[in-house]
Amino acid sequence: MKGVRFLLMALVGFLMVTSCSEEQDFDQLDDLTITPSYEASIFYVKAQETLINRVAGLNFFTQDFNFDAFEEPFFTNRVIAGVLTYELENTTSKPIEIRLEFLDEAENVLDTEVFSMDPAPTAILQRDVAYGATGKSLDIIRATSEIRLTAINLGDNSSVSSLPDAAIVLRSSAQFTLEL
Amino acid sequence: MRLCHCLFVAGVLLTLGLKAQNKQILYDFNEIPQSLSINPGVETDFKWYAGVPLLSGISGYAGSNGISVNDMFANDGVDINLKFRERALDVLTPKDEFSSTLQIEYFNGGFRGENTNIFYSFGGYLELDNIIYWPQDYAYLLFDGNADQLGRRYDLGDLKVRGSMVNVFHFGINKRIDRNLTIGARGKLYSAIADYSSSTNNGHLTNIEGQNNRIASNLNADLLLRTSGFQDLDAASDSETLGNEIISRALFGGDLGLGLDLGFTYYLSERTTVTGSLLDVGFIYHSSDPKSYSLNGNTTVEGIEIDILDNFASLDRDFWQDLVDEVEVAVPFKTDTKSYLSFRPTKLYASIRNAFGEPVGNGGAQTCDCTAGSSGSRELRTKYRNSVGGQLYMINRPRGPQMALTGFYTRRIGNVLALKGTYTIDKYSSTNVGLGMNLQAGPINFYVMADNLLSYNNIAASNYASFQFGLNIISWGRSK
Repeated sequence: MKGVRFLLMALVGFLMVTSCSEEQDFDQLDDLTITPSYEASIFYVKAQETLINRVAGLNFFTQDFNFDAFEEPFFTNRVIAGVLTYELENTTSKPIEIRLEFLDEAENVLDTEVFSMDPAPTAILQRDVAYGATGKSLDIIRATSEIRLTAINLGDNSSVSSLPDAAIVLRSSAQFTLEL
Repeated sequence: MRLCHCLFVAGVLLTLGLKAQNKQILYDFNEIPQSLSINPGVETDFKWYAGVPLLSGISGYAGSNGISVNDMFANDGVDINLKFRERALDVLTPKDEFSSTLQIEYFNGGFRGENTNIFYSFGGYLELDNIIYWPQDYAYLLFDGNADQLGRRYDLGDLKVRGSMVNVFHFGINKRIDRNLTIGARGKLYSAIADYSSSTNNGHLTNIEGQNNRIASNLNADLLLRTSGFQDLDAASDSETLGNEIISRALFGGDLGLGLDLGFTYYLSERTTVTGSLLDVGFIYHSSDPKSYSLNGNTTVEGIEIDILDNFASLDRDFWQDLVDEVEVAVPFKTDTKSYLSFRPTKLYASIRNAFGEPVGNGGAQTCDCTAGSSGSRELRTKYRNSVGGQLYMINRPRGPQMALTGFYTRRIGNVLALKGTYTIDKYSSTNVGLGMNLQAGPINFYVMADNLLSYNNIAASNYASFQFGLNIISWGRSK
């Protein structure tokens, strides 16, 4: 019986004293990279053909829009890549040119995207514009404070499309990768 | 170096979160006064006992049922990003938890009344208790984002977390009703130092194909985080009076609450016993320093939407700011300082035990007054060398009750040493073997317990680790 006692106590003591772990390397945490990609719509602009026909001259619409989303410090300090996707649909009877200009706070033009669309019927134009290592400079995105939208009617002011609710529609979304 | 690793791993485990600990080895180990703390109706035989201040009962637990420290931090040459994805992100679910408990008894004592059938106990302890369930969809949003996930519904209800730091004063009465039945009750006064909980969240974040624009982002949120004590502690930290603030809040300067423990021991026969206890049926009213944060509402956003014809007269307005304002109105983020009530994590223990083998000592009559049922003028109860039995443990948790089943074997070696071995199965482990030892050297009582012993050759690979130990002085009165 003494032997059993001794063994049990020795076992407890052994477990308490010798229990340990394999070598752990907590510095690995420094190598953990968190680079999620987020996606959302940016802006949607619709100009009806009835409106286009009412405005004389080529340039039927120009407007600067405040756009602070890219200026948020959380975003600008962490963004490492991005893609802006544009989708242009023209159901009017006129060829249309859309010009997007990215402006900084001093209203300097940082970048310009130009889209030319034939009159309807025409396919939807989709364009992906990359920023970062494989595309344009991310500084364009980081410094953008306003977006200037210019729409130019390259046709007449009288024709009417046979399609219902004829309009030129610009859709856009952004997908950005951040390093957290 | 190995010791450093051990301490570091233990530290990491203890900071992972906290779960109220299953003290399956201590339960019904009635040679140890602290067994009263988990069953106020345990059968006692002490005339009085006094716990050594700060050393009478220290217990801790930390763990996760889904992942171990070794899974992530083993020095195995595997890229941690790969390990994190394969062993955590793609494996863990919202049912997996990280939890821990630390309980430090700073004073504890008990004495038998003039009516020797009644034993009084009292004490105080500090308890830290935290639990967080793996917030799966939040983790995916954080590590992968929501790009190219059209139609995927990120569940905002995955966030469930609760924790507290509470000082507890208690006073209990243990009464032997007759030879076969002992009952007990203990009242508790909680003084909460800090508390937080976010366990009633609902909602989702979803990207779907937009009606106008390419993507419609739908946020449906009903999120609530309630806290108490953190502002005071933060302010005290800034003014370098944190220690005083903690002590003040622990000594009734914080949030107060009441609780009740109940328990019993019943002898079905001379050798067969059933026991049960219900612990921490109580609440704390958080009124001293509450602050709640909520996000509640529903909105769908497709970016800045400009229909030139519709907005022709107001094209100069700030569409971006309008969009931000609309979202903030639809899903407002609010804070308030309303008081709130929190309920303690109630625990249930039950056991059945069958004693066998030779009676301990002289035919069951002890050479000292140190067996259950022997105190005062009461009838001696025979105590046997061996006993086996089973125990049930349940605890109320944010995602519903958790349960553990334990089989145990107790061996008494004279009046000096008692050992209890356990095998427990629960959501953490199916190979949990534990061992407890109670050593009685004259009036000095020392106990130590640990479970999940099979993992001790590589504790970092264990899903959890726990320990209990304590030091008491016990008197059984004069021998008859």
